[in-house]
Amino acid sequence: MKNIMLISLIVVVAFSSCKKDNYDGPTAGLSGKFIDAKTGELVQQDIIRGTQIEMIEHGYDPVSPQFLIVKTDGTYDNSLLFANTYTVRPVRGNFITLESQELPITGKTVLDFTVTPYIRVLSPKVERVGTKIIATFRLEQQVVNEVQKIGLYAHSDSRVGEPMRLLASEKQLNAVSNPATTYSVEIDLPSNNTTLKTGNSYYFRIGALIGVGEAKLNYAPAVKIAI
Amino acid sequence: MKKYIWLCCLATFNFAGCKKILDLQPTDKIQASVIFGDPQGVKIYMANLYFQLPIEDFTYFRQGFNQNGGDPNNGGFLPAMVTDEAMHTEFGDFVGDNDFQWWDQGYKLIRDVNLLIDVIPTLDIDATEKAALTGESSFIKAFAYFALAKRYGGVPLMKTSQVYEGDADALKVPRSTEKETWDYVFELCDLAIQNLGTEKGRRASKWTAYALKSRAALHAASIAKFGNLAPLSGNAVTQKLVGLEASVANAYYKLSMDASQAIMTSGQYSLFRPTPANPTEAAENYRMIFQDPNGASSEAIFIKGFTLPGNNQGHNYDIWFQPAQAANGWPHPGRMNPTLDLVDVYENYTTPGLSSPVVTTVDGNTTDYNGYSAAKNYIRYDNTNDIFKDKDARLWGTTILPGTNWKNTPIIIQAGYVKPDGSAVIRTKDQITIGTETFHTYGAASTSQYSGFDTYGGNNTRTGFSFRKFMNQSGPIVPGWNQSTTDFIEFRYAEILLNYAEAVIESGTGDVTTAAKAMNDIRKRAGHTGDIPLTSANLQRERRVELAFENKRFWDLIRRREYHSQFNNRMMHSLLPLQDLRALPAKKYIFVRVNVPNSNPRTFEPKSYYRYIPGIGSNGLVQNPQY
Repeated sequence: MKNIMLISLIVVVAFSSCKKDNYDGPTAGLSGKFIDAKTGELVQQDIIRGTQIEMIEHGYDPVSPQFLIVKTDGTYDNSLLFANTYTVRPVRGNFITLESQELPITGKTVLDFTVTPYIRVLSPKVERVGTKIIATFRLEQQVVNEVQKIGLYAHSDSRVGEPMRLLASEKQLNAVSNPATTYSVEIDLPSNNTTLKTGNSYYFRIGALIGVGEAKLNYAPAVKIAI
Repeated sequence: MKKYIWLCCLATFNFAGCKKILDLQPTDKIQASVIFGDPQGVKIYMANLYFQLPIEDFTYFRQGFNQNGGDPNNGGFLPAMVTDEAMHTEFGDFVGDNDFQWWDQGYKLIRDVNLLIDVIPTLDIDATEKAALTGESSFIKAFAYFALAKRYGGVPLMKTSQVYEGDADALKVPRSTEKETWDYVFELCDLAIQNLGTEKGRRASKWTAYALKSRAALHAASIAKFGNLAPLSGNAVTQKLVGLEASVANAYYKLSMDASQAIMTSGQYSLFRPTPANPTEAAENYRMIFQDPNGASSEAIFIKGFTLPGNNQGHNYDIWFQPAQAANGWPHPGRMNPTLDLVDVYENYTTPGLSSPVVTTVDGNTTDYNGYSAAKNYIRYDNTNDIFKDKDARLWGTTILPGTNWKNTPIIIQAGYVKPDGSAVIRTKDQITIGTETFHTYGAASTSQYSGFDTYGGNNTRTGFSFRKFMNQSGPIVPGWNQSTTDFIEFRYAEILLNYAEAVIESGTGDVTTAAKAMNDIRKRAGHTGDIPLTSANLQRERRVELAFENKRFWDLIRRREYHSQFNNRMMHSLLPLQDLRALPAKKYIFVRVNVPNSNPRTFEPKSYYRYIPGIGSNGLVQNPQY
């Protein structure tokens, strides 16, 4: 009997304290796009190990920053943020660095970033020629640095990219790109037949990496091809 | 009620008597004056400091140092298994944020050594002994700050012990820059070198202090030289808490070079058995260094002893890593899987100066990891280790190759067979009877008779190689925790030679002839006969094969900023030995290069070049980038 009373007491105490302890859940959110300043198009991104948006919530010191990831198409959306003022800055991206900005976030806030991508991948074409997948494209770089590498990345998932791939074919350029040159990268199908299996469809995406510290690759949209 | 009255009374009495009672000295603690007043007391205190020394030995795992307490069950997942040296039989983990931390323990050791430094001047001992204590405590402190600097970059420097006077905030020390931290390490090394004697033993000496400086300065110089390969950004970078300017590289290389040279010209050390008659002898000599470092005292500069079996004393290398056939009742042996990637790095005697990937097919393609195909033309071998016949002796001394002997037992590592019709059965338990003879996929019938590829118990290699270096061959495994007593060499002469050669080649200064000789002397000890030129690539290959599994590779990848480029969606590789039954009645084997079965690609995040600093909420320190 004593036990039961004790348990009841604990239960009563535990539940009665609930109300006071509970804060409201996050109600605000932030979403938006990365837009190319010149073309007005979305800037293609990586879903993993890509551009991130660093958010430092005000009112706490020290505070660990939060990092929002960006979708491959260049949009982002975090619908679970606490309403507050934040210092917001995209970091380690594939475009010329932006300054941070202070942003009060209440309700569903929208913030688009207008950016200059390090490299634009122009007239991208990925097609199957015989037993090869051949990608051709031109590069228009916006900074003076060298282009480190260009590559063609393959994955069964549409969010393919350099960090997320089953297979990559890369060329190290280590040179400033020539806007007039048509670059090409190819994947040989027979020698990769255990990775890219006949009868399946895969996504192929062209990428190029600028030689800037912490930079991420710039991409053309992924293309689906049946093998 | 009565009870309460009693309690009240007691309380009253207690409080009334407070002052005098608390004035008594506690009887369950030893006073500083007692322990430091007696040379034996200092010795005991010193033993505790050495125990805390961050030596990456057989008890060092990703959870930290001294993982040999009561139940040290971490599955045998070694730091080497997040490098390109090895895989674990079961786990596919890679470098995690919480791995290899050494923060609280580091500052605990530094506090303990600072307390000792405080009392040295007051001790009733002669000046020589005082100098020795000063040198020894400086060595320990330098060792501790090196361990912190390579993990965290610039850290708070506690140059003297702190006294708590009621204000916790007054005790908070901000981080120094990474450069100041490294300079402090070298300052402490110099203090140790000045004060320590030349006597060899298990404790710090002038030579161990030189060795520490040689290694630490090479680390710092490499960060300065290669830091721009993996630039980071953020507050810690702008405040120079992480990273070094490229301009300081050569000064640090010089520090390393000079420290190495002091050991090399001392005449105190030499390579163990430097001129073997043949590669077989070289392999055995090499293995002997690690099975009993005390027998190689000309080479071992600093040994950490594991004298007794038991909790916090012995270690677990033998139970985790000997091949399954040697288990002797231990349920989970065989968990070290040296990778094909490492095996490929070793030179062939016929092609000195070149990494020699294992060639399995007539066309010589060593980049095809698509697996077995009946259409490919494989080279047939008479047994499962003929394919390595020409390889550097150290491969034979480091790994157990398929079909080689261990404790007088041939260790059978076989992944399957190719049936006479050309179809293969790989990594599946199966058997086939042809004529009167029965063949088993794993080379034998039962799990106690082979050591490869069967996933049974997580006990067999999945790369095709098992482990020999550091393993005790002289007796059967004692199947229990913390029973191994093989000693560990923290500093050995070969590393000093390699440090010297690297400092010369990377800085472009110093004596190239001596440096090239240093590298080639090590190769000759391994049975090579000719010299190869000193280049950065040759030197790094030499480091990988000579120091394999000594917990150096992880830091080499870190300090040379190669981790993120070496590990970008990287698969590790295995070599599958298959019996080719198409060749019957002849007994022939073929080999297939494949990705390690059941493994995932690995990518190193540049932020992992530094560990995160724990507890910034209370210690108020600037966090490292991207944490």
